[in-house]
Amino acid sequence: MVSFLFDFHFPPFRRPVPSKLAIFLISGSLASAATPPAAIPDFRNDIQPVLERKCVRCHQESKTKGGLRMDSFEEIMEGGSDAEAIVPGKPDESELILRARLRPIDEGFMPDEGQALTSEELETLTAWIEAGADWPEGVTLTEKKPEPVKRVALPANPPATIAETATMVDDILRRENLDHKTITTPTIDDDAFLRRATIDLIGRIPTRKEIDIFHSWGSDRREKLIDHLLDHDRFADRWTVFMADMLRIRSDVPGGNALLAYVNASIEQSKPYDEFVRALISASGKPNSNPAVGYILGDDAMPMELAAATSQVFLGVRIGCAMCHDHPFDDWEQKDFYELAAFFGKTQKVQSRQRGMVYTTEGHEMSVLWPPEDKAEAEERMPVLPLFPFTLTKYDHQPAYLKRFEAKRSTREQAASANQDSASIDALLDAVEPTPGRKIDPVLAEARKESEKLGVLDDLYRASELRNQLAELITNPRNGFFARAFVNRVWAELIGHGFVEPLDNFSDYNELRHASTLDFLAQEFIANAYDLRSLIKTITLSDAYRRSPLPADVAINQREYSELNFTAAPARRMLGEVLYDSIVTAGHLNDFKWPKGANLRTFEKQVRVPTGKMVDAPASTKPTMMPVATAMRSDGYDLESSLTLDFNSLLKKQSQQEIESMRAKSDEQIQAEKMASAAAEKRKTTMVYKTETVTETVDDNPRFTSAMRMATPAPPAHFLRVFGQPTRTGLGEFRDDSASLRQQLMMLNGRITHEASRVGPKEPLHQLLKQDSGRAIDWAYQEILTRLPDDEEKSDARKILSTSPTPEDGMADLRWALLNSHEFRFLP
Amino acid sequence: MSQKIGCNDYQFTRRRMLKMFSASILGMPISQLLAQAPKDGGSAEHVILFWNSGGMSHLDTWDPKPGRKVQGEFAPIKTSVPDMEISEIFPQLAKQMHHAALIRSIQGTNGDHGRAQYELQTGFNLTPNVVHPGIGSLVVHERDSLGDLPAFISISGQPARAGYLGQQCEAYYVGRPGEKDPYLAFPEGIHHARGKKRLEILARMNARTSDRVGADEMKAAEIALKDAVNLMDSPALKAFEIDQENPSTIARYGDTEFGRGALLARRLVEKGVRFVQVNRGGFDNHGNIFEAMRDHGNAMDPALASLLSDLKANGKLSKTLVIVLSEFGRTPRINDGGGRDHWARCFSCMMAGGGIKGGTVVGSSDKDGMDPAERPVKVYDLHASICQALGIDINKELFTHDGRPMRIVRKDASPIREMLI
Repeated sequence: MVSFLFDFHFPPFRRPVPSKLAIFLISGSLASAATPPAAIPDFRNDIQPVLERKCVRCHQESKTKGGLRMDSFEEIMEGGSDAEAIVPGKPDESELILRARLRPIDEGFMPDEGQALTSEELETLTAWIEAGADWPEGVTLTEKKPEPVKRVALPANPPATIAETATMVDDILRRENLDHKTITTPTIDDDAFLRRATIDLIGRIPTRKEIDIFHSWGSDRREKLIDHLLDHDRFADRWTVFMADMLRIRSDVPGGNALLAYVNASIEQSKPYDEFVRALISASGKPNSNPAVGYILGDDAMPMELAAATSQVFLGVRIGCAMCHDHPFDDWEQKDFYELAAFFGKTQKVQSRQRGMVYTTEGHEMSVLWPPEDKAEAEERMPVLPLFPFTLTKYDHQPAYLKRFEAKRSTREQAASANQDSASIDALLDAVEPTPGRKIDPVLAEARKESEKLGVLDDLYRASELRNQLAELITNPRNGFFARAFVNRVWAELIGHGFVEPLDNFSDYNELRHASTLDFLAQEFIANAYDLRSLIKTITLSDAYRRSPLPADVAINQREYSELNFTAAPARRMLGEVLYDSIVTAGHLNDFKWPKGANLRTFEKQVRVPTGKMVDAPASTKPTMMPVATAMRSDGYDLESSLTLDFNSLLKKQSQQEIESMRAKSDEQIQAEKMASAAAEKRKTTMVYKTETVTETVDDNPRFTSAMRMATPAPPAHFLRVFGQPTRTGLGEFRDDSASLRQQLMMLNGRITHEASRVGPKEPLHQLLKQDSGRAIDWAYQEILTRLPDDEEKSDARKILSTSPTPEDGMADLRWALLNSHEFRFLP
Repeated sequence: MSQKIGCNDYQFTRRRMLKMFSASILGMPISQLLAQAPKDGGSAEHVILFWNSGGMSHLDTWDPKPGRKVQGEFAPIKTSVPDMEISEIFPQLAKQMHHAALIRSIQGTNGDHGRAQYELQTGFNLTPNVVHPGIGSLVVHERDSLGDLPAFISISGQPARAGYLGQQCEAYYVGRPGEKDPYLAFPEGIHHARGKKRLEILARMNARTSDRVGADEMKAAEIALKDAVNLMDSPALKAFEIDQENPSTIARYGDTEFGRGALLARRLVEKGVRFVQVNRGGFDNHGNIFEAMRDHGNAMDPALASLLSDLKANGKLSKTLVIVLSEFGRTPRINDGGGRDHWARCFSCMMAGGGIKGGTVVGSSDKDGMDPAERPVKVYDLHASICQALGIDINKELFTHDGRPMRIVRKDASPIREMLI
């Protein structure tokens, strides 16, 4: 059994060292801090505040986790269900100390909610127990809010350029890290930067041509590269994936695809983030006239779900936990949640069964009622008045970043796209008015009829007032959560860790690391009028973005600590979409690699051929064999295909083609009906079939498109899903970047890696291979790993080529291995 | 010695280590921590779950109501268990019911497919900010794996996800039983020797990188890679080739996709696969339910009956828990279209084989199958029972990626003791 531990070559066990102490020891600079303070801690001054802020909340009469109460001496000495919390004089036997010494990720770590004890607090508690755990008689403790996070001063003068902003970020981060004993790794070299930034900003590895151009630039090449990438065609596609995860966009719900296209266009056109969010929250109407309404339709226009999502997604506050009860780990009350939900309380989703159209409208009735359904009789429940539960900061003197924001906004033309969006609801119904000589769109005529039935026709001409108000409040620059929640997500996407984790859980009881860095980035994001590109540029120009990973021999505690403090890069894998597109790029699969007819292949296929004979088939004969799965490719590689959506046509207003077909029937129902009708068909009279094997010849010369624009999420077991694409159904669901057997099998044996490896005659490499195999090897390394091989790698590669039947075969083997290597999949 | 956890815990490089780490601090011996779940009376080693998606009618299958208006077209038939009657659509299965228990008083809480499927497959209701693992993922997380093949295989469809257990506990997916899975062998044109040469080149490259970067994530990928190569080399892969079976055996299972799925499930269990889920759709019969159910019976009856008798014959039945489950039942009232609609208030489930006291009927529904009459069973009691049958501690807590403790089964769940051995 124990071999389990050593099978995978871990460093041998060390004496267990509490993580924080380990950091001291390794850094060596603060050995004195590890020795307990000489003075015996004073209960009231040193101990009581720590216990009240960090322990009593969950260990008191009203909530007694683990059977342990810590609000009085008698209670704490009774211990918990399993162990003694305090053994006076013996901190090493006191569960309180043992657990606080664990790392946050360990089982049994305390406190398991809220902020961990600081190393000073832990030392003080240890010294107190060591000295006998004196607790003045009669003192009882009450829970206190955690103390506010420490902050450092922000720069006095605003930055003149984004590059200067990035320098300031690094300076604040450095000052915040002064009392953190972390290892700061060197910054990566320029080639690694090129690869990292290209992957992060446009979602694929750089091409050889891009490497050459980058090398031709001067000392300002990093900033130049970032500008170039921010301007790239693929930038919007890559960051649509980010937004689609955040907004949980699903192609299979009404409005899903239109919303996806809308997000893409908004990023492409640099729509400010606050305007974009206002459009989402306030939208009404029909997806193909107002695609932003997909956000509301995504949660079926249900007030409770929308309130939970809106708060969690845009503000990073999990107030949704207060839907059913007062928030267990936070100060939100159920009433707060209901008041927030009331902003959505008049919105209704209308679906027309006949034509498969879905849209939203505003009713008269407030559907959110208080008290909650399970706590009162129906007649006692009253409509809830919408009330925004978050406070907007008031300033005596307007801070500089707000002035800069307002100045920027007022100079910009207010041809706001938001106006266009709200106009569309009118357009929707205007088109229904019978104008002589104009044909009435039957879809719209039905919309009108439906709305008449509901008696909400008047409201259809108005946008949602309540949601407009809410959108203003959410996106108000004085709402401290809005910009910070988004900055936290973007930072984590680029750096690998957020300031707050989970990324959507800002709370007084959840740890916030480097609060000042986050504050500053958020203020600059606002001052730059919520411009995503400026934010990304700031982060990618910072030194924090250029950190290298720690080497293999650094202890995991140390590594994690340094990564969480942003002084070393965590191992980041490419997103599934990015991996897919990078293989396509490396293998030149976006165009035909082979001349016509070069890859003729013959498949053997089983087909059923009608014999022309009909027989009666009574119900009791052979059971029917129904294909339940969707049609598969004959070679079984369906899970790697990438059918792209046409974003342009999805955004065409009033498109005759109703792309958003509403599904009045569930998948399950459709399937049941299909099976039934096929079975019925069989029962009546049945054509007699025989199975024949036929051969089919196809020119197997594949081309692959980008995975960025696929319908989302991809089908289960598809390449993208296997590599961690979320289902985007539940709130708080993030990408799963754990490794799996299936991933490896798809890479080792999949069609896309295979085709990318093969050397096609139309690739430049093919010609070069004949002339100069050394350079061809260089190219292969550059095209796949964005770097040249070192001597050892090169001689290995030469051997591979020379021992293969043909150089093309050898090159294919080399490329296959490069594509499967860890270095390819993990960011530099 | 080489025992490994069921769904290969590729994250363990970091997390599992730390658990051991902390446990040793707390004075708990590591051997105790590493020990697999104690066997608490559970005798089952494998599970074959037939997941009938869409909401299978309870009245037309396990809980017939003769003489009532709600009965519909099917008469009840006698089974090998005195006093236990099931629908006439299962004539062969009726002879095997002495291996099976029927639960006729399940109270679901969701009448919507998505939510109910989540509830029935995970034992929890859909909640924000956590994705609970499906029962298959949970079982392979809790029980060690027994052979070269993936511990959890899903046929003809997708099971619930692994949720907080991570990618490595997801089911291995088989499109249609008998169809060749291209991912289990090198691509066409790459013969074995060349494939091996490629793997050697790859190993040399990866060795160079792991010196440079010490990330556990990369080590995890390395382990997954080794497992993938082992699987490709495994003779156990033959289990997937159901065409190797005697044609008369295939015919005995009914030669349908469902029948082939059942046959493949049996072959996989014989090779040590812990959990096989066979999916079938087409149960959402809002119209013409009786025709549809007759067809379902034609497909299910020979497959399930043959599976139980074959497992019995080869001695595997006492080790293999066979379950037929759906997300809810259907309305007793027959609608104008000759169908039945969604009904979650009361429905049935069949469990047979490993850990199950054959011939048991648990609970009953009222005269029209509207509500449980005796011994209501909660959905999570089914999950507790499955765990119990497999010797998995139902009180166990696991941790989500961000350290949130999660019980594997709801706190108020209890196993259905009267049907468990």
